[in-house]
Amino acid sequence: MIVAPGTGVRMALILLIALVVQASGIAQVTVLGASPDLMPLVVAGVGFLAGSVPGAVTGFAAGIAIDLALGQTVGATSLVLTAVGYGCGRYRELRDPAHGLAPIAFAGVATAGYEVGMAAVSFMLGIEASVSVLVLREAIVTVLLNILLALPVFWVLRRVLRPSLVVDPLARGRGREQTRAAGPLGLRGLEV
Amino acid sequence: MHDKNVVRRRRAVLVLLVGLSIALLTVYFDEPGGGILHALQRGSQAVLGPIESGASRALKPIRDATGWIGDTFNAQDENDELRAEVARLRQQLAAGQTAQREADQLRALVDLPDERGYPTGVDPVTARVIAHSPTVWYSTLQIDKGSDDGLEADQPVVTGDGLIGKLTGVTGGTAEVTLITDADSAVSSQVVPSGTRGILMPTVGDPDDLLLDFLDNEGEVKEGATVVTSGSTSTEFESLFPRGVPIGEVSRVDPDERELYQRVHVKPFADLKRLDFVQVLTGDPPAEVAETDAVAVP
Repeated sequence: MIVAPGTGVRMALILLIALVVQASGIAQVTVLGASPDLMPLVVAGVGFLAGSVPGAVTGFAAGIAIDLALGQTVGATSLVLTAVGYGCGRYRELRDPAHGLAPIAFAGVATAGYEVGMAAVSFMLGIEASVSVLVLREAIVTVLLNILLALPVFWVLRRVLRPSLVVDPLARGRGREQTRAAGPLGLRGLEV
Repeated sequence: MHDKNVVRRRRAVLVLLVGLSIALLTVYFDEPGGGILHALQRGSQAVLGPIESGASRALKPIRDATGWIGDTFNAQDENDELRAEVARLRQQLAAGQTAQREADQLRALVDLPDERGYPTGVDPVTARVIAHSPTVWYSTLQIDKGSDDGLEADQPVVTGDGLIGKLTGVTGGTAEVTLITDADSAVSSQVVPSGTRGILMPTVGDPDDLLLDFLDNEGEVKEGATVVTSGSTSTEFESLFPRGVPIGEVSRVDPDERELYQRVHVKPFADLKRLDFVQVLTGDPPAEVAETDAVAVP
């Protein structure tokens, strides 16, 4: 696998900024008792724009960063976010959704998957919690808030990643010529 | 041929990352607190601390603006609740002042030290909250003070409203606070004025509901009663928290639950979702109450 320095640096910067903004700002903003969660949104965005392998790698890196920076069980979040990134990327590769509103659906499904995945891993790690109305409400509100943030976050991601994208699904959806000599993975400079 | 290679490599990457995550999980659980992953965690927190501190200050106006919008919606309900609480506190104040006068006289008689506020020897250090854990499964936060400021692991953390948690990880310039709503938390507590003792445990997923568990059967526990730290110094398990730090009030007493499980529900005084500043109680408070019942509490 070849990772061009520019691509790696851009993705690392995106994750660092998302982590700091999430932990120091957004996590303390509550709407109806819950907060948006940028990390699954960013991972879903990379999967959607770049494909399954960049999605999985970004998910793994984002999860490790969260677990290390916030003192959580190392490996738990990375396991879930790897699956989220890979899943989003695979769906894009198989179905090739080009609709302008596709990010909204990706954000909703990815966040819901992340919430369910974190709950499952937490139960497996022995953190006992009753599946209360409050837990469900918090998960649903987080999904809805992430849906609201989906378009701006995906727009920013697309702007940052565009120089590295082999195929830009959103641009193709608007009828522009985007497909280039495609490598096996979704990012130029990140190729096997 | 090319497609087969791509598929094989894509699957290999997925298996590698998932396997790595599971391996990290296993190592993290098996290693002691001074292990390599825990050290890496402390190192990354020390590196990210100044960045999070700056971002926390920069993003405060945005947090305040969104908080103000939420507060406006809740203002009417909160106003009614506060009026009812003022009336209740007036009654408690009158009773408290009477009790204080009597206590002062009794202290003078038996020559006990006069304790008001934090116990003697406790030195509060004020810190800014710089990061919050984003999920309901982990209730931790980061603060911008660390061992350079005299902080050590296991020291209690409070706000003006009451106890919020304890330090679980300390680096030079930052520290990690595990809140009383975290799944690993348990606080030796007592209900005042009845003096009934128990262990305060979280209800994971609901930061407004704590369980006062393993209550002894002596004394009546009523809704609205205040819960404070008991500060017990059992010979086997010593409480980390000084005695008398307020935690919350009894929000629900279910007779069946009280009878069968010896527990009641408690609502914490502090709003754990919105914390900007906290105080860490450093120093060694003197032993307060010796207990003989050995209960595993942090």
